[in-house]
Amino acid sequence: MASKEEVFLEKVSSKFEVEGKIQRERRIWLSTDKVNLIPLCTWLKGEGFIHLSALSVTDWLEEGKYEVTYHLWSYEDRILVTVKTKIDRENPVIDSVVSLWDANAQAHEREMHELFGIKFEGNPNLTPLFLENWEGPPPFRKDFNWREYVKEKYYHKDDDTERVYYD
Amino acid sequence: MIDQMESAAKGSDFDLYFGPAHSGSGNFGVKLKINGEQVVSAVSDPGYLHRGFEKLMEYRVPIQNAVISDRLCVLEALNWNLLHAEAVDELMGIDIPERAKYIRVIVAELSRIQSHIIWFGVLSIGIGFDTGFKLAFGYRDYILDLFEMITGGRVYPTGYICPGGVRRDLPDGAEEKILQVLDKIEEMIDLEELENPVFKARLKGLAVLTLYDAIRLGATGPVIRASGMKTDVRKDEPYEVYDRFDFEIPVRYEGDAYARFLIGVEEMKQSIKIIKQALRDLPDGPVIDKKLKKPRPKGKIPKGEVYVRNEVSRGEGAFYMISDGSGMPYRCKIRGPSFLHMIPVLEYLLKGVQIADVPAVYWSLNICPADLDR
Repeated sequence: MASKEEVFLEKVSSKFEVEGKIQRERRIWLSTDKVNLIPLCTWLKGEGFIHLSALSVTDWLEEGKYEVTYHLWSYEDRILVTVKTKIDRENPVIDSVVSLWDANAQAHEREMHELFGIKFEGNPNLTPLFLENWEGPPPFRKDFNWREYVKEKYYHKDDDTERVYYD
Repeated sequence: MIDQMESAAKGSDFDLYFGPAHSGSGNFGVKLKINGEQVVSAVSDPGYLHRGFEKLMEYRVPIQNAVISDRLCVLEALNWNLLHAEAVDELMGIDIPERAKYIRVIVAELSRIQSHIIWFGVLSIGIGFDTGFKLAFGYRDYILDLFEMITGGRVYPTGYICPGGVRRDLPDGAEEKILQVLDKIEEMIDLEELENPVFKARLKGLAVLTLYDAIRLGATGPVIRASGMKTDVRKDEPYEVYDRFDFEIPVRYEGDAYARFLIGVEEMKQSIKIIKQALRDLPDGPVIDKKLKKPRPKGKIPKGEVYVRNEVSRGEGAFYMISDGSGMPYRCKIRGPSFLHMIPVLEYLLKGVQIADVPAVYWSLNICPADLDR
């Protein structure tokens, strides 16, 4: 008998253009294009994935892409589906999922906007969450050298006690 | 007369900053708009404790990250230790020794109990009931003594639960000591139930979260269980050896602050039940995988990605870890339950309550600024 993961994967593959794999029990990973994201997420929510467990971004510097991941949990089926989609690193714009997961998605997108600089179109509030008066680039980018930034911004070469950081 | 009162109320609009350096708030701020005695709107203002752990972990090997993972939440360091260790275990494809699994469960449940005791303590002080606070921190010390004996650290175990198992076996006589402490904790639970009238008076009907809103705002753990959803990661998706134990998931349907408080009390009882079963079944054998005995693991972490979920005492905790094969995680996303409890849920629940109830609502959610800010 096919497991519930296999049944689910078959169902989603027949409806959308996705690359799916079953990692283990209760873990399914789906990769899709940016254009398919909202229809896929809408369908998933209808299938019972009402809990957005997390929303994360990975910076693939060498490839020049950001990968946005949505970790969705279904209380009924007890499956965690991760939807992954890649967007351009130079122009990071993606549609917001606030209309689906409401304030939950709103808070997560707000955090990711601050840390990676991704624009979520349709999110009503993308004001900074953690950082105050931050002038540097989005800090979680792979090409952001925080050691250099801290040296330049917060230490003084002339100060005897702080000169060690420059040696 | 009424006109006078109304104009006085109109003139009393003001902003109140609850935190981040407030004895009743922890390292976290809420900006409140007040009209008279009533909160009109609340805006969470996190960031006071932001340490960028996700970024820090990208520059460190797992054994260092195990120590960092303690600091994800001061009040339940071992649960976060466990979560980090599980993520690395799964990436490396290690099946850890049986005895280590049992020890992990025992210390994680002890950590959950002491976290719930603190919850009782801070909720007491949130409603102005000082005795409860003192009781809680007194009884919590029994568990801290246990942690000192088992892990070497009272609050921070400095990576006791490390990838591959646990760092040390239980010391001689630990089983009896744990059972003695559990007796003490039962005393504490009795006291919590004894002081119930105070909580009833202040918390009943306060800050009601319906199940619809709980799902919409992403609540997990005790908060969603108090709103009527029977869910617990330990049951939904058993990790370690939780599927071998017999315990219940407490559920209540009122959704108010008092229901959340009762869930906390009931969960402590269930944790005691789990620890007793784990001690009874504790097998012999090694406590750490051979490959990971030394601080520098022999095999490098293979390429891959995992999403590991656990039930920490505040709700659903998760690690999303990507490895590119270098030995250090390429990306580490940490999902703390308080992130959603303190931003959307808190903002929603604070609307319309009285100023005096703000700390009570705040602490009834069992929140921890540390795992929000990370």
